[in-house]
Amino acid sequence: MKREKTRRTRCLQSRAGTTAAILLLAAGLMVSLIVAVTMGTTRLPVGQVYTVIRYELLHLVCGQPIPKKWAPGTAVHDVVWLIRLPRLVLAAAVGTSLSLCGVAMQAIVQNPLADPYILGVSSGAGLGVTLAVLLGVGTALGSNYVGLMAFAGALGISCAVVALANVGGRANSVKLLLAGSALAAVCGAGTQFLLYLRSADHADSEIMRWTMGSLSAADWPNNVVMLLVAGGGTAFFLTQCRTLNLMLLGDETAVTLGTDLHRYRILYLVVSSLMVGFAVYAAGAIGFVGLVVPHVVRLLFGTDHRRLVPLCALSGALFLLWADVLCRTILPGNEIPVGILTSLLGAPVFLCLMVRHRYGFGGGA
Amino acid sequence: MNITIKNLEKQLDGQPVLRTIDLVIPEHKVLGIIGPNGSGKSTLLRCICRVLQPDGGAVLLDGRSLREYSPRQTARRMATVAQHNTYNFDFTVQDIVLMGRSPHKRAFERDDTQDYRIVSQSLAQVGMDGFQHRSFSSLSGGERQRVILARALAQQTPCLLLDEPTNHLDIRYQLQLMELVRGLGRTVITAVHDLNIAAMYCDTLVVMQAGCIVASGTPQEILTPALIRQVYGVQARVLADENGVPYILFRPECGTISK
Repeated sequence: MKREKTRRTRCLQSRAGTTAAILLLAAGLMVSLIVAVTMGTTRLPVGQVYTVIRYELLHLVCGQPIPKKWAPGTAVHDVVWLIRLPRLVLAAAVGTSLSLCGVAMQAIVQNPLADPYILGVSSGAGLGVTLAVLLGVGTALGSNYVGLMAFAGALGISCAVVALANVGGRANSVKLLLAGSALAAVCGAGTQFLLYLRSADHADSEIMRWTMGSLSAADWPNNVVMLLVAGGGTAFFLTQCRTLNLMLLGDETAVTLGTDLHRYRILYLVVSSLMVGFAVYAAGAIGFVGLVVPHVVRLLFGTDHRRLVPLCALSGALFLLWADVLCRTILPGNEIPVGILTSLLGAPVFLCLMVRHRYGFGGGA
Repeated sequence: MNITIKNLEKQLDGQPVLRTIDLVIPEHKVLGIIGPNGSGKSTLLRCICRVLQPDGGAVLLDGRSLREYSPRQTARRMATVAQHNTYNFDFTVQDIVLMGRSPHKRAFERDDTQDYRIVSQSLAQVGMDGFQHRSFSSLSGGERQRVILARALAQQTPCLLLDEPTNHLDIRYQLQLMELVRGLGRTVITAVHDLNIAAMYCDTLVVMQAGCIVASGTPQEILTPALIRQVYGVQARVLADENGVPYILFRPECGTISK
């Protein structure tokens, strides 16, 4: 029995096994998009859904005009093309970004417990939102100022963490972790304090949307940016697998193997903050994806980043896509914040895998 | 490749750990560094493998300071086996040894069949053949030490730096490892605790005490009762085997620890 399990794991970790898994997940993602677009609170005939998509694609690719029956403005068109599909695409892009940043953050701080938010990124975004909503900070930035403030908060805190960790010698994983936790606490306290001073009903729900995460604000113009960020980030980390592997061995070993990690750590932190910042901007703070997806993939496919990076990018997209479908459909006529669902769904799966496989999280099985 | 250490100084936490070390490393020989705990053996090795930056003086590779080389370039010349090797993440043995190939690879280059061949050769050399797919964290201390040595061998460098490589190893593997390292014909710099191992396998010994080199020479010249008493503060008898290799017996009955 045990031998069989070892053999199964070894099969998954072989090169052919990994390629097969990547192809399978990519196919799964395509199928999921096609299937999930038919699901939602409004019941639409499957045939109509695909007709709208077909005409829109023909319009986009060949410039062919869309027949009036399916043109923008009709209920079916708007639900499918302006609500459902952008939301699914956004879920996939955000899922990819969050799980890849989880992989990167775990390498940067050399700690398997790290997630995209560990270095204060989400707290910074939260504080930005609270400042915008309650005090009107940043209204000059235009109609989307709340989102931009979230992004600014996330990026600002990441930069502050790097700067603080570099005081008195080079940043190492422990200093980054401590600086991140401290700044996260400060931002969290600031948010709570502002909420305590000025609690207004309408503000609470707006802040809740950001702190619990929601994909409901998806639209195509923002999706283009998010897709570029997620795709660019994935492509970047795909070229960095070797250095990411060395990062997990620590600075000293990496130097003797020919790589000085210092500048890579800062570079990865900046790229990750960009990805998380845009994810927070588009969908609020969605927890747990960045922690659970990398660990589940590691459990099945091993720690080598050449497998981990592509597999995490795809699994993260799939995970968040289906989590969002569930939170739109599980309670009829009511939508659950997706952050709640990712935790409710992710944690038990994670614990179950951990117990069954005696997963050591790398700390020794 | 010529390694020369010139006026090397290093402080840790404000305490001088190395005070003006001068040393020319003999090529294609095994150089053993001996000395009591805290005498600066590891710090010296860590300066040579550029984990630590010296506060004064320099380590010269072929006449040029280490700082003029990129870490990649030095990693193609020197491979290091550190004293402690525990990682927060679990890799397979093969993943770990493959990382020894990274100084020879560009960022996006794939590992080819030659890399895999080198990895399995290196594992076979340290007697860890067949462990490729085992998880590194499930290995015993001695097995881990041998895997790390295999990684250093996979780097295919002219020089090896070993920090107490026989730690954790049973006597059979202690002898086997030193035999292997000696048989490579490469420049080897190793910190050693066990004086008998040092006597058997090192061509030259350097004795460190309080951050200084106090003696150097062949094992026969160095390993004398007087020097052992002076450096370690213990009584010892030194015999010689039929080839003249010193064999050290410690003498508790004479009051092992003096002062």
